[in-house]
This record gives sequence, structure tokens and C-alpha cells, in this order.
Amino acid sequence: MNFDPASAAARGLARCHSCGRVELVSAEHCPRCHAPLHLRKPHSLQRTIALTLGAVILYLPANLLPVLRVESTLKGAQQNTILGGVVQFWQNGDYLVALIIFIASVMIPILKVLAIVALCLAARFGCWQRAMTRLYRVTDYIGRWSMVDVFVVAILVGVVQLGGVMTINAGEGALAFAGVVVLTMLAAHSFDPRLIWDAAAREQRKAFAKNERRSDQVTPGAASLSHA
Amino acid sequence: MHLLDECWYLNASSRVEVPVSSPYLACPNCDALFLEPVIQERERVICPRCTTKLFSRRPNFVHRAAALVFAAAFFFILANAFPFLTLRADYRESDMLLAGAVSGLQADGFSALATMVAIFTLAAPSVLIATLLYVLLPLLRDRRLPWALHLCRAIHEARRWNMVEVFLLGVLVSLLKLGSVATLTLGTSFWAFAALIVCLAAALTAIDQAELWDKLEAARP
Repeated sequence: MNFDPASAAARGLARCHSCGRVELVSAEHCPRCHAPLHLRKPHSLQRTIALTLGAVILYLPANLLPVLRVESTLKGAQQNTILGGVVQFWQNGDYLVALIIFIASVMIPILKVLAIVALCLAARFGCWQRAMTRLYRVTDYIGRWSMVDVFVVAILVGVVQLGGVMTINAGEGALAFAGVVVLTMLAAHSFDPRLIWDAAAREQRKAFAKNERRSDQVTPGAASLSHA
Repeated sequence: MHLLDECWYLNASSRVEVPVSSPYLACPNCDALFLEPVIQERERVICPRCTTKLFSRRPNFVHRAAALVFAAAFFFILANAFPFLTLRADYRESDMLLAGAVSGLQADGFSALATMVAIFTLAAPSVLIATLLYVLLPLLRDRRLPWALHLCRAIHEARRWNMVEVFLLGVLVSLLKLGSVATLTLGTSFWAFAALIVCLAAALTAIDQAELWDKLEAARP
């Protein structure tokens, strides 16, 4: 493996992922907190890609299946998908809530998957290290807020348990959606941003080697010119 | 604070010896290697390469965090003991406890979903509060209890899955959702829960992970 030469890993030092102590990787376990030591998160890219794919697949049932089934004596049986809920809030004039739900349950999962794809590409091609590291921090933080729709379902089901006026049941979509959120959270967590810096250093070395080769080729030509 | 100068030209095969207490510091996000700088209280160290905050020193953080976590524990017990929401419709009333969000899903046959909600709103915060108390209270007298160093790892994990603040947003949204059909009133628990979120967030920002680990390592077992 090629590590970024300024990194701890290039010198055989690993940062403990739970307590942050820097230790020789040959120690295998952190002497302070006994967590296993790795130079980079093991199989980071494979895990991230697999979990993201899982999330993308689950995203379909999460949006197509109802998250909530409402039966009331006044309005009859209703099924709500996530987007349907947003539309309902919008029509009722609750623009702020519609916006919150739309951002939390539609925008964030999509943006998060796109961000993870961008991060994986950056870890392959080594570009925009600074911006990508910042993107990683945001992605890692923001994912939890998508869970808000699942909690709404849980609260509605929990509170409306009296029969008569209406009954509320959870739908399969809620389960799928919770799966999407958990999978994207795990995907973001298993990504290792240090790979981006490794790739950047690798690209730099490659560009440097190319320049050297070019200057080697130019010099003999220049010499022959001066002879003529 | 300097990047270890020689890092830039040493090749990957060179190794360094690490003394017992490691003088090195590595950025979690870009793995740049530094010699650990000495800083004053209220100062923070930021990675010059990727601007990640590496560590900071906060005056009296153990006392402050212990007090806040203690308050959070108190509010968490309150939040579980009293009704969270009360629904009134058609002269009928029903109370929901905090755990009602879980048991409702369970009764509906969604036990997987119920487990998830239970982890995010009940298990993770209680593990977080319990481990923080276990670690912080003895640290007030510079002591550490057995297994404290192992348990401290759980803080990291529980913090990630603790979604109490998201749950609060969920409560507000469902208030509006049911607003047209029935009247929902907020119970004692709701306010305790809100206070819990404030205390826990304040406690977690008061704690600097790296400083906590250093303190814990230096404490008498």
C-alpha cells in the first residue's frame, strides 16, 4: 500500500480509532484502550460501496410503500408515503413542516448517497482533499436527521391507540426507510477519509515522475540542437 | 505546532521508535503526523492540512461535564416516568409514555423497527449517560474504576446512535400532523426530555475526547 508520506501510516504509526493514541501498528492493540489498531479502516471502500448499494436498493420500497396507514371514520382509509406526507403538509399550509420533512427524508438521503459516491471517487483519484474531508465531516454528522420521519411514525402509532375515531398503523415503508438511514450512516462511518490524502499523494508522485521523464527526453534533444 | 519536517522526505520504509507515552498526534481525517504541541487553557489545535479540530483544553471540564451529565441522568429518569403526550379526542384521553413509541410499533408487528427506535431513543442515551457517569464521577477525585478505559470506548459508539434531538423534532412534527384531528398536549416528560437534550449536548461539548482519555490514563486505578 502507498501511504501519503506526511502521514503517520507511512512511518508505521497507527492512530487508535477509539482513543486517538498514536502507536506503532505492530502493537496490534492500543495499549491504552485495547481497541484493535489499523493503519486505515479495514476494507473501507468495499464496505462503504456495499452498504451504499444496499441503501440505494432499499430507497425504492422506502418511497413506494406506505409509511403510515390511517383509518378514520370521517375520512376512511388512507395510506401515506413519505412524499405523500410532504404534499399533505404543503396543501394544509404548513410550509415549514413540509420543508423540514422534505429536507430530512428526501434531500438528505439522496445528497448523502451522492456525497459518499463523490468521496469514493476522490479516494480513487485523489482530488480536492480539503473540500472532500470537509464533505466527509458534514456527511457523517447530518445522516441522523433523516430518522425524523421514522420517529413521527413511531409517535403517531404510539399515541393513537384508542379505537373509535381513528386507528394508525405503521407501514412497511417506514421499516425500509429506517434501513436506508442506518445503512447510509454505517456507510459514512466505514469510509476512511485518509484514503483521499493517500490517493492525492500517489497522484502527485505520478505527476512528478512524468515531469522527470519529460525533462530527461528534452535534454538530449536540446544538446543535439546546440551541436548543429 | 509543526508538521514533523522530516516526514516530507522520509520514505515509507523508515520507522520511528515510540516512547511509552506517545508524543505524537495524528489527524483522524488526513493522518498528518505531528509532535503533540503544548497549549494553554481555552486554546485548540486545528490540523493545518484539513482544518479538523484535533484537541482543545477546557478549564475544569471534568467538573462541568460531571454536573451536566448528572442533571441529564435525572431528566432522563423523569422523562421515562411521566406521560409524554396526552391525546384528547371525543371526550377520550390517552397518555403515551416515552416508551410508548416503541411499544406501539411492537404491538403493530414491526418488532425490528421497534428495536431500532428503542436503541436510538432509550438504549443509546442510557448507555451514554451511564458510561459518562461511571467515568466522570471517579475522575473528580482523580481516580478511575476498573474497566473504565474499556468502557470509555462505548461513549464514542453510543454518541453516534443517540438520536434524542431528532426524536424531539419528530414530536414537534407529529404535534402538527395530528393537530387538525385531535388535541395533543405535552406532558411533564416532554419538558424533561427537552432539558435532557440540552444537558447532554452541553456535557458532550464540554468534553474533549482526547483530553478525557489523557486524564483517564493519568488517574489512579
